Amino acid sequence: MDATTKPLRIPPDMATYAEKHDIFELFQTLVRSLVVDKPADPIQYLIDMLKRENTDVPRVMLLGPPASGKRTIAKKLCEQIGTIHITASNILKDDSDLSRAALEYTEKNQEIPQDLWIKLIQQRLLKADCVRRGWVLEAIPKTREEALCLQEAGIAPEHVVMLQAPESVLIERSLGKRIDPVTGDVYHVAFMRPESAEVAQRLERPQSLISEDVIYRQLQGFHREAHALQRTYKNCLKIVDADQAHVDVFAQVLTFILSRHRSSAPYTPRILLLGPPGSGRSLQARLIAQKYGLVNICCGELLKAVAADESSMGELIKPFLESGRRVPDSMVLQILTERLSRLDCTTRGWVLHGFPQDLEQAEALQESKFSPNRVVFLEMTDGVAVEGLTLGAIDPVTGERHSFRLQHRLRESEAEVQKKLQQYWRHVEALQAFYPQAVRVRADQDPHTVFECLESTLVDRLPKVLPDRA
Amino acid sequence: MASALQPYNQDPNGAYVFSSRPRPAPTRLKYKDPAVIQNEESYVYGNIMYDRRVVRGNTYAQHTLPLRSQPDPAELKKQQEARRRALARKRAKEQFRLLTPEAPEGRKHKDVQTELYLEELSDHPEDASMGCQTDAFLDEPATPLFIPAKSGKDVATQIEEGELFYFDTEVQPVLEVLIGKTMEQALLEVLEEEELASLRAQQRAFQELRNAEIVEVQRLEEQERRHREEKVRRLKQQREVLENERVIAEKIAARVFAQQYLADLLPSVYNTLRDQGYFYDPVQRDIETGFLPWLMTEVDSALKKREIVLTMLDTLIYDVANSRQET
Repeated sequence: MDATTKPLRIPPDMATYAEKHDIFELFQTLVRSLVVDKPADPIQYLIDMLKRENTDVPRVMLLGPPASGKRTIAKKLCEQIGTIHITASNILKDDSDLSRAALEYTEKNQEIPQDLWIKLIQQRLLKADCVRRGWVLEAIPKTREEALCLQEAGIAPEHVVMLQAPESVLIERSLGKRIDPVTGDVYHVAFMRPESAEVAQRLERPQSLISEDVIYRQLQGFHREAHALQRTYKNCLKIVDADQAHVDVFAQVLTFILSRHRSSAPYTPRILLLGPPGSGRSLQARLIAQKYGLVNICCGELLKAVAADESSMGELIKPFLESGRRVPDSMVLQILTERLSRLDCTTRGWVLHGFPQDLEQAEALQESKFSPNRVVFLEMTDGVAVEGLTLGAIDPVTGERHSFRLQHRLRESEAEVQKKLQQYWRHVEALQAFYPQAVRVRADQDPHTVFECLESTLVDRLPKVLPDRA
Repeated sequence: MASALQPYNQDPNGAYVFSSRPRPAPTRLKYKDPAVIQNEESYVYGNIMYDRRVVRGNTYAQHTLPLRSQPDPAELKKQQEARRRALARKRAKEQFRLLTPEAPEGRKHKDVQTELYLEELSDHPEDASMGCQTDAFLDEPATPLFIPAKSGKDVATQIEEGELFYFDTEVQPVLEVLIGKTMEQALLEVLEEEELASLRAQQRAFQELRNAEIVEVQRLEEQERRHREEKVRRLKQQREVLENERVIAEKIAARVFAQQYLADLLPSVYNTLRDQGYFYDPVQRDIETGFLPWLMTEVDSALKKREIVLTMLDTLIYDVANSRQET
C-alpha cells in the first residue's frame, strides 16, 4: 500500500476515543508503575493493572500545623470521595509483624526508625482497599527526610494540600480542642460544637496538647519542616487558608482535588461557544482561532457560503435563507458534518458558534462523529445584549463601543433582538442540562478578560466528576 | 339372653313396667340347633338386610295389618262380595263339568250312539266245523329251470343312416378353419412382432437423440454452474481482499496514530518521575541526607563546645574578679 497512491487517513474517531478515555494518562500511569515496581513479568503485571480499572484513584496528602483542622477535612473528604483515611495511629493499629515491631518502639517511648516506618506506610498503601479506592494521608510525612524516603519508595501523591493559619488562631484552637473517643471526631469548645448532647458529654481533651508552651513548641517544630515539605511537593501543592469556616476550606480542598493537572497528551480542541445573541461569540471565536490556529466556523455564515456556492445543497437551502425561515435540521447537520470532516478541521481543531440552537440539534451533533470536547456558555443579561446589538457593534481592535460603526452584521431593530433573545432563553436550560461539563463565563466583562477565561478552560483539563452516591 | 333381657315386672309405684336393652333381632339358625347355642353366651344375630321378615319395596300398595282388630266394614263387604262371586262361579262350572276327560291334543270327541251295535256277550263263542282232505301223494313234478327273474330293462338300439361319424368329411372344415385361424393368428403375431420391433427401433433412435440432447444440456448446465460458482468465488475473494485491505489500513492508521499519540509518553513519564522525586540526583540526595545532618551536628557540637568554653571563661573571670575583690 503505497503512501502516495493511497494516502493514509487516520479516522478522527481514534482521536475522540483516545481523548474520551484518557489513553495518554492511562499509559503514563502504566509506564510509571512499571518503572517503580519493576515486576518480573511486565506483560502480566500490565494486564492485571488494566483489569483492576483503578488507575485514576485520588491520592492526597493533607499537611498542616496542629489544630488546623486536618482531621475534620480528611474525614469529610473520605466521606465525599470514598477514599481510605490513613493517619499515623491508623497504621500502627494494623496487625502485622512490622506494626508489632513498631509498637515495641512506641512502648519504650523511642522514635520508630525511618525505614521501618516507611515500610509500614508502604505496606498499608499496597493493601487492596487503598489500591482500589485511593488514599488520603493525614499529617504524613512530618519531615523532609520522611518525604524523601516516601519518594524513593515510589509513593507519590497527586494532590498535596497544606493548610495554613496565623499562630494565634492555631493556639486558640488547640486550647479548645476536644476529641470524641468513640468516633474520633474533633470538636471545639467554641468554634465547632457537637450536635448532640450525648456526644458533648463524651468529649475529652487530647493527651498531647495540654499547655500553651507545649502547643507553641509543636507549632515551631511544624514550621521548621513546613518550608522543606513545600519545596518537596511544589508541583502538586496547594496552600489553603484554614482560617475560614470549615465548609469553605473543604470546598476549596475538594475543587483542588477534583481538578486534574496539565497533561502532555496531544489534544485537538473542538470547542462549542454558546450564548445569547450579542454576547460576543463571533469575536471570541475569531480570537481563539487566531491564537491557536483553529478553524472558525460560524453556522450562519457557513449556510450563506453554501447557498452562494451553486451546489445541489445550496439550491436546496437558498429558498429558506431568502424567505428568512429556519433551515431544517437535517440539512444544516449535513452541511456542518461535511465541513467538519474536511482535513483542516480534523487536524487543526475547530471552534463552532451559532449551532446548536436547541436540544434536538445538540443531540444530533452528539451522535455524529464530531462531538465537542469543550463547551462554553457565555452568560450575559438581556439588557446588555440588547444594547450591544441595537446601539452598535464593538470594535475588536480597540475594544470600545462605537455607536455608528458597523461590522458585517446589519443593525437590527429592538423587536427582532428581543425575539432572538427569547428564543435563546427558551432553549438554554435544556442545553445546559445536556452539557453537564460545560463552563460558564460571564460575558459582560472586557473582551480580553473573557478571552483569558476561555483560554484557561481550553488549556486545562476538565476536572474529575464525582460518581453519584445515592 | 338372660343378660340382655332385664324385665322388671314391678316398678316402685306398682305398675307393670317392661324395659330391655336394645338388641338385634335373632335369626333362625340354619344348621345349628338354637337350644344348643342358647346355653352359650354368644349371641347370634343376623343381618336385617337379608332377613326375609323385613318388608321390602314400597309400602304404598301393600296389605298392611288393619289398624284395629275389627276388620274394616268396607273391606268386609268387599270380601263378602268376592266370596259370593267365587261361589257362583264354582256352581256354574259344576254344571258344565264333563264326565269324560278332555280330549288330548289333536283329537276331538265325537258323540256316538252305540245302541245299534250292541252285542250280547256270552260265555260260549260261536263255533262251526269244517273239514279238508289232501290229494294222494303224487310225484313231485320236475322242478322247472330256474330262470331268475328279469332284473334289468330291455333296451334295443339301431344305427340309422347318417348317424355314423365319417372323420374326413366331418373334420375337414373344422380342421380348415382351425388351421386357417391358427395361421391367421400366427401371421398377426408375426406382424405384431415386426411392428413392435420397428417401434422399438424408433424408440431407441429417439432415446439416443434425447440422450445426446440431455448430455448436451447437462454439459451446458455444468458449464453455467461452474461459471456462476467461479463468479461468486471471485466476488468473495475480492470482497475479502477489500476487507483485508480495510483492516490493514485501519491497523496501520491505528498504529500510526498510537505512535503519534504516545510519542511523548516516555519523556513525560520520566519528567513526572523526576518531579515526584523518584529519580533524584544521588549526589544531591546524599549531601542532603548524609552530609548536611552530620554538618549540622558537628556545628551544633562545636557551638556547644564554644558555649561551654565561654561559660567556663565567664566563671573563671567571675571567680578571679571575686577573689581580686576579696583581697
